[in-house]
Amino acid sequence: MEDRRRLLNHFLAALAYRTQKALREAPENFGSFRVSDGVRTPAELVRHMSSVLGYARTFFVGGHYWPEPLASFAEEVERFHEMLGLLAQHLRNGDSLLEGMTEERLLQGPFSDAMTHAGQLALLRRLAGAPVAPENFIVAEIKEERLGPDQAKPVSPDKVWPEAPDGWKP
Amino acid sequence: MSDPNKRALLRHTVATLAYRGGKAIANVPEGFPQFRANDSTRTPDQILAHIGDLLDWALSIAKGQQTWRNSTPLPWDQETTRFFAALAAFDSYLASDDELGAPEEKLFQGPVADALTHVGQIAMLRRMAGGPVKGENYYVAEIEAGRVGAEQPPPRREFD
Repeated sequence: MEDRRRLLNHFLAALAYRTQKALREAPENFGSFRVSDGVRTPAELVRHMSSVLGYARTFFVGGHYWPEPLASFAEEVERFHEMLGLLAQHLRNGDSLLEGMTEERLLQGPFSDAMTHAGQLALLRRLAGAPVAPENFIVAEIKEERLGPDQAKPVSPDKVWPEAPDGWKP
Repeated sequence: MSDPNKRALLRHTVATLAYRGGKAIANVPEGFPQFRANDSTRTPDQILAHIGDLLDWALSIAKGQQTWRNSTPLPWDQETTRFFAALAAFDSYLASDDELGAPEEKLFQGPVADALTHVGQIAMLRRMAGGPVKGENYYVAEIEAGRVGAEQPPPRREFD
């Protein structure tokens, strides 16, 4: 695989890891948590993440992609990971990009979009009263072939968490 | 030995961070830096200071001398200046021929991805604070490696 594409695949794996970190052991009904009017719920955010990645995929396969809402949050999450896998496969295959798209534009557009939304999921967890403990991501077990919902647990969770909820232990 | 293609793509990501981050932190509503969505969340100025810490950390890792420092938020304008200065210092190192102290993948998955997630959080807080950032089709934005300062091109395709 070409080097830039290998790094893009790694970016997708980091996205899978960070998304699962934000969703793992989330409270029941977290998918429909709406913090205020005009702010997406987690389910809407994950669908949007699938949408932007599906949009990225259209630059390999053509056409349009507009995902309809699914019945459950679990299905939304499953579709998101499926889309990560599909997109990664195009990168691995060395498939050509259409309409003048480049690896750089994939990165600056849909891939980065999705990463910003992963951060928003983590913020919503905190706002929903169930924050996610911080970790040192540089040593996290992120592997380019690992794109599904089954992600590694933190290798180096932080020992200090100033905003920790009551009862948290490192 | 680091790979020039990967290093170039990492620099492009740093430029993306400058463009997207710059948009999220510009023209913020009055009082926004101290906007607190609830008791347990960071304020925007704390998040921006954290992004600055992440970029300083990234540079220290790139130089092979990993150092972490928790900073106290500066006034918003100064923290904004610090954000772009930290981006410029990191990018300058990536643009040099000096060896990287860690693989590109690690810099990518750690501080750079982290900073992007926090830019997303500032954007969400802006919406909650009643001063949302306009949407944009970023894939057509004029982003290029090395352009990491406060002066960024105007959006090519923006929407409400």
